[in-house]
Amino acid sequence: MNKTLLAAAILATAGAAAHAEIATYAVDPTHTFANFEANHMGASTLRGRFDKKEGTVTIDKAAKTGKAEITIDTSSISTGVAPLDTHLKSKDFFNATEFSTAKFVGDKFSFSGDKVTAVAGTLTLLGKTQPVTLTATNYNCYINPMLKREVCGGDFETTISRSAYGMPFGINFGLPDIIRLLIQIEAVKQ
Amino acid sequence: MQPLMKHFGAGLAALAFAAAAGAAPQRYALDPDNTHVHWELKHFGTSTIRGRFDAISGSVTLDREAHSGSVSISVDTASLSTGTRLFDGVVRGPLLLATSEHPSAYFVATRFVFDGDQLVSVTGEFTVRGSSRPLTLRAMRFACRTDAEPPREVCGGDFEGEFKRSDFGITHSLPFVGDAVRLVVQIEGVRQ
Repeated sequence: MNKTLLAAAILATAGAAAHAEIATYAVDPTHTFANFEANHMGASTLRGRFDKKEGTVTIDKAAKTGKAEITIDTSSISTGVAPLDTHLKSKDFFNATEFSTAKFVGDKFSFSGDKVTAVAGTLTLLGKTQPVTLTATNYNCYINPMLKREVCGGDFETTISRSAYGMPFGINFGLPDIIRLLIQIEAVKQ
Repeated sequence: MQPLMKHFGAGLAALAFAAAAGAAPQRYALDPDNTHVHWELKHFGTSTIRGRFDAISGSVTLDREAHSGSVSISVDTASLSTGTRLFDGVVRGPLLLATSEHPSAYFVATRFVFDGDQLVSVTGEFTVRGSSRPLTLRAMRFACRTDAEPPREVCGGDFEGEFKRSDFGITHSLPFVGDAVRLVVQIEGVRQ
């Protein structure tokens, strides 16, 4: 590397460092939920959610990059119907005893201006990892007046094929393979 | 049927009317496992807060030939579930749903609108926190099926509607938590 190139490289690195605005956000569990929707026998839509989750998100607003890691406790599934929850936690579906968590790792953030428009990464469920892209239907950052801190978040959605994760129960008698995921997330700047 | 109707004119029309009038409305009992009222509202214009009511009772009558029906649904407001106990307590409390004073919310409707044979909306009166106002629930999908085991007819679908919570005097935490509430109703009824 000649001197000019070296100088340019140093300047470029310094410039990038000066513009990096990496911030870490802790997921607010009271405003973060993974909800799912499954059509029931062609008539109505079954909805449920997972109540226990944790995670962190880092966002570099200048470089327009980020990373999200969210872990969901599969045994915290809640549909409002206790026997259904028990069935969903069983080996037919989430096998929550053996696979107590599901994990989303997002490392490809897409931006439009300052707003995150999509997060691509992987979802691990029943020990199987598949690519998934969460699309933002709403995204915003605001200063929470109680916390006096920046909160960023929004609504994201995607669809997954549960058979791709080894969860084919009931597809042969009409239960849907395609499940819609609706994600509410808000995370507080640390 | 339509060309025949034109050909035979009034005579057959009268017969069809008689058949429709003779088709008794069928009564359906709500299946609590597949009947839920979910609601959504915006938090700081950023993310969507969702909750549901788990205890719902009521009955539906439907006359699919006469294209009419009636619905009467009662929601146990204390059966609220958001996934966060702290929120559940706040929403049940006197500043929001005041569930001790107003243990039930109601939807009572007799205006069923069909497009052909497809139910498209149900309009009636919605009561929450002691205030009543008109509400229309749109059918996003609605179908009837015959289950083999147990043998029975089940009708059901997904309905959506919106209201402003301030219209019902539920104004706490405005404007940080949105005024517009979206209702997402899953309903299935078993023919009696």
